[in-house]
Amino acid sequence: MNKEKDLTDYVAVFFVVLSILLLLFPSTKIVHSARVIAGYSLYPTLYYGSKYAYYARNVPDNFLALIRTDQENRALKDKIKELEIYRQSAAAVFDENTRLSAALGLSNRLPWKGVWARVTNKEPSDWYGSFFVDKGSRQGVAQNDTILGFESGRAGLVGRIFEVYHDFSKALPITNGVSSVICSPEKGGFEALAEGKGTWLLKMNYVPEDSELLAGTELFTSGGGLLFPGGVYLGRVLKVYPKESFMNFITADIKPAVNGNNLKEVFILHPPKADGIKGF
Amino acid sequence: MRQLGDVLLYFLTGVFYWWWTGHLSIFGMAPDFIFLAALCVAIIASPVKALAYGFFFGVYMDLLGTNMFGAYALTYTLLVYGIHSMKRHFDMAAPFSQIITALVMSFVCMLFYQGLSLVLAKINPLSLKNFLTEPFLNAAAAPFIFFIFSRLKRKFGIL
Repeated sequence: MNKEKDLTDYVAVFFVVLSILLLLFPSTKIVHSARVIAGYSLYPTLYYGSKYAYYARNVPDNFLALIRTDQENRALKDKIKELEIYRQSAAAVFDENTRLSAALGLSNRLPWKGVWARVTNKEPSDWYGSFFVDKGSRQGVAQNDTILGFESGRAGLVGRIFEVYHDFSKALPITNGVSSVICSPEKGGFEALAEGKGTWLLKMNYVPEDSELLAGTELFTSGGGLLFPGGVYLGRVLKVYPKESFMNFITADIKPAVNGNNLKEVFILHPPKADGIKGF
Repeated sequence: MRQLGDVLLYFLTGVFYWWWTGHLSIFGMAPDFIFLAALCVAIIASPVKALAYGFFFGVYMDLLGTNMFGAYALTYTLLVYGIHSMKRHFDMAAPFSQIITALVMSFVCMLFYQGLSLVLAKINPLSLKNFLTEPFLNAAAAPFIFFIFSRLKRKFGIL
């Protein structure tokens, strides 16, 4: 009995010490390797689980979709012929635009390339803090890639890729308490920092006191930020707080462009970065 | 063979947790089945095996989140050790005691994790909504999970 108790105590101490080491040295190579290896235990859930659950859930719908698809296919074939003419004309304009943008040194923002991904997991205890998508390094997803979502037919910033595995990735939404985005109104004028609060709202900080920020103003990512490409719709100002006497800037609440609760699919884009920040 | 069963149970618990939270959570709330699994294992399994289960269930939760890696591992290891020490004094095979244990330990674990997070990362990961509802959901689900785990132990010798 005592022997078993001793063994239990030793094992408990071992796991406690191991946990504390993981906690205290999160960025060391050994802990990072342990994390990557342990990450493979998510495979049955996040890769196979989501894959087969998706197929099983959609079987009845897929039959109906197949019939509709056939009808749509015929209509789309005609549309494609029509669009091909437009495409050729647009390609010529795009080439010209690329050439002129390069000549003016404005070529960093376009073109955007990326992949579509499905949201496969959201953690109730970390609802606004993280989620998983079903695309990983095999599909070309890289760390810090920008994630866009769509709401009411409009694209908006959702967050960035935090960790990449072979077939899935962990995303860090802008609502996470550690996220921040440099943003500005469409017309420019000033830049401010939008920070996640761990709730559905964002907090806009460091807004110059002389700026005329009003509720309803639309905000976009600023080209000055390194993590996100400029010009992506971030959200709308919900409430502007009056300046505190001891501060020389004002703050505001932002309603994000995309409601994280309804997120089903996202577009992960690989924004081309300037040479100096490629390793970022 | 038993070890294989343990590994399978570990992964199946993860898959079940993922499926439930993805499809059956209401307003972002669902019982924390990983916590319940750790709790039931602590009651049913041998102490050494239960500690290993607790640690790896914690690692699984850490991998799902973006906060401190190792915080859930520490929380669940201590949870299992605590339950192991308590079960000598209380009869935890009865559903009522499982409900009370799940309720109390949910609050304890949430507060412990919150404390760790505030001390080490200076962020507040716990929403009031979760804090007020999740322990009761856990308490309601605890006897069912315990029943399944005890059946698995009896039938297949897992745990």
